[in-house]
Amino acid sequence: MESVIAGLIIAVIKILVILGVVLGVGAYLTLVERKVAAHIQRRPGPMVVGWHGLLQPLADGLKLMTKEDLFPRYGNRVLYNLALIMALVPATLVFAVIPFGPEFELFGYKIKPILTDVNVGLLLVFGLGSLAVYAIALAGWASNSKYPLIGSMRKAGIIVSYEVAITFAVMGPLILAGTLSTYNIVEAQIEQKLWYVWLQPVAFVVFMFSLLAETGRVPFDIQEAEAELVTGFTVEYGGMKFGLFPLVEWYVEVLSLSAIAVVLFLGGWSPINIPFIGFIDPLFFLGPLSPFVWFILKVTALFLFILWLHWTLPRYRIDQITEIAWKVMLPLALFNLVFTAIIAPVVWR
Amino acid sequence: MVKKVFEKPLSWIERILFIDFIKGLSVTIRHAFSKTITTHYPYEKLTPPKRFRGFFGHKVINGTEPQPGFNEWTERMKIEVIPGKSRCVVCYLCKKACPVPQLFEIDGKKVESGKKVVGVFNMNLMLCTFCGFCVDACPVDCLFQSDIHETASYTRKDAILDLETLERVGKDWQRRRDNEPDRIWIDDRQRERLWYENDVRLPEVKK
Repeated sequence: MESVIAGLIIAVIKILVILGVVLGVGAYLTLVERKVAAHIQRRPGPMVVGWHGLLQPLADGLKLMTKEDLFPRYGNRVLYNLALIMALVPATLVFAVIPFGPEFELFGYKIKPILTDVNVGLLLVFGLGSLAVYAIALAGWASNSKYPLIGSMRKAGIIVSYEVAITFAVMGPLILAGTLSTYNIVEAQIEQKLWYVWLQPVAFVVFMFSLLAETGRVPFDIQEAEAELVTGFTVEYGGMKFGLFPLVEWYVEVLSLSAIAVVLFLGGWSPINIPFIGFIDPLFFLGPLSPFVWFILKVTALFLFILWLHWTLPRYRIDQITEIAWKVMLPLALFNLVFTAIIAPVVWR
Repeated sequence: MVKKVFEKPLSWIERILFIDFIKGLSVTIRHAFSKTITTHYPYEKLTPPKRFRGFFGHKVINGTEPQPGFNEWTERMKIEVIPGKSRCVVCYLCKKACPVPQLFEIDGKKVESGKKVVGVFNMNLMLCTFCGFCVDACPVDCLFQSDIHETASYTRKDAILDLETLERVGKDWQRRRDNEPDRIWIDDRQRERLWYENDVRLPEVKK
């Protein structure tokens, strides 16, 4: 009985920590993005609110909260509000299966820094990822307006194309690790002393492309397309409802998919890996904290790389994007999968 | 002849290794870590060039009037020359040159010696387009445009410049910038800050 209560309390604490960290960090990533974008364009970005604009997200939030909540005439109010929930919930739920570090012991309880170590963790991730398309399709439909509808249709087309590619891309690491549990995939990489990015560079590239497409980042931000569609499906949303969509799509989803990329390809919480030599940990002085720091560092690096791409590349056309998905990415991922499935059992074990 | 900036097809090596992506990324990262070129406007202001078309002013009589034009005009218009007051000779040429003449309200005033001086000179800047025709028309280098460009005001009445304001602006200008050489940017540092690319020589595109 006592262990059940302890387990419950631990789970609640984990949920609160993950929710707080994810949503708080998500809000602050708006500032990071604005700063990165500004410096790439030789501007300083927000500088006035707080030291170097450090309180800008709070000011933005306050502004968004106090704005009028408009609703389009002839829109569907139920679907309109449901779309918000459908966007926020799956995106944050993905963090339930992301391992932040190795198992540790606190007050005699063994705690894994992962909310639920389910044995089909990756399947859950991609199931929830596919749910995101409902939010956008609903948002576009319920707004009863042209631009949102075009935007959401484009987004749906992209997600349908890239879901296939991303699923085939992650099958390479799955074959190598032999498990679907995210925690065990990282442990397998640490045991085998090899990040899977060294073995699966093609899969990694396909995964990165699909990540950009699924989260609507440049060069695949066709559903936003500021110049053509204003901001796509968020046109008819106002106030905090408007703030929530980019928060979810650009920050929470990018964070969760970067974390998945780190788990699958970059060895989760393990330190720097060099093939045939093993792990080198320049942060050994942090002791038991070092794995967590490594995980955060890797996710941050990946996120900054995505931002860097965003403010460098121009936008593709919708037909080019789907063409890349079906004609380049899917055959590459399939080829990679078949190659891995043939070679891995011979060489690997 | 049109120089063609060509579109070179990518080789397979370039396609597989994302060479053009990497080139673009290297450009942006170099910019990201170099100094910003912006001005933090309300806290930090650039000095506009001397030819800037800002608020209007009346230069005052201080011995630097254009001669012999100034003496001829004062004689013709029977103007009393009072040092430290506006150079205006009430010739109405500015009003004639203006595309919106009703924004000027000019009138002379008799003084005891029988001559006259400018008594009323109002400019309604709500109607003004800052085209500078009136400044070109002024025969005695009196009306001019200063570098004051923050023209917002709380009431419509504040947007009307009267003679006192014009003289104040003129005195201020003559103290600050009258002796400056006439150039587009106040100094090389400010020019380079915005237009540092003037010195950059673009590479020739080869065929």
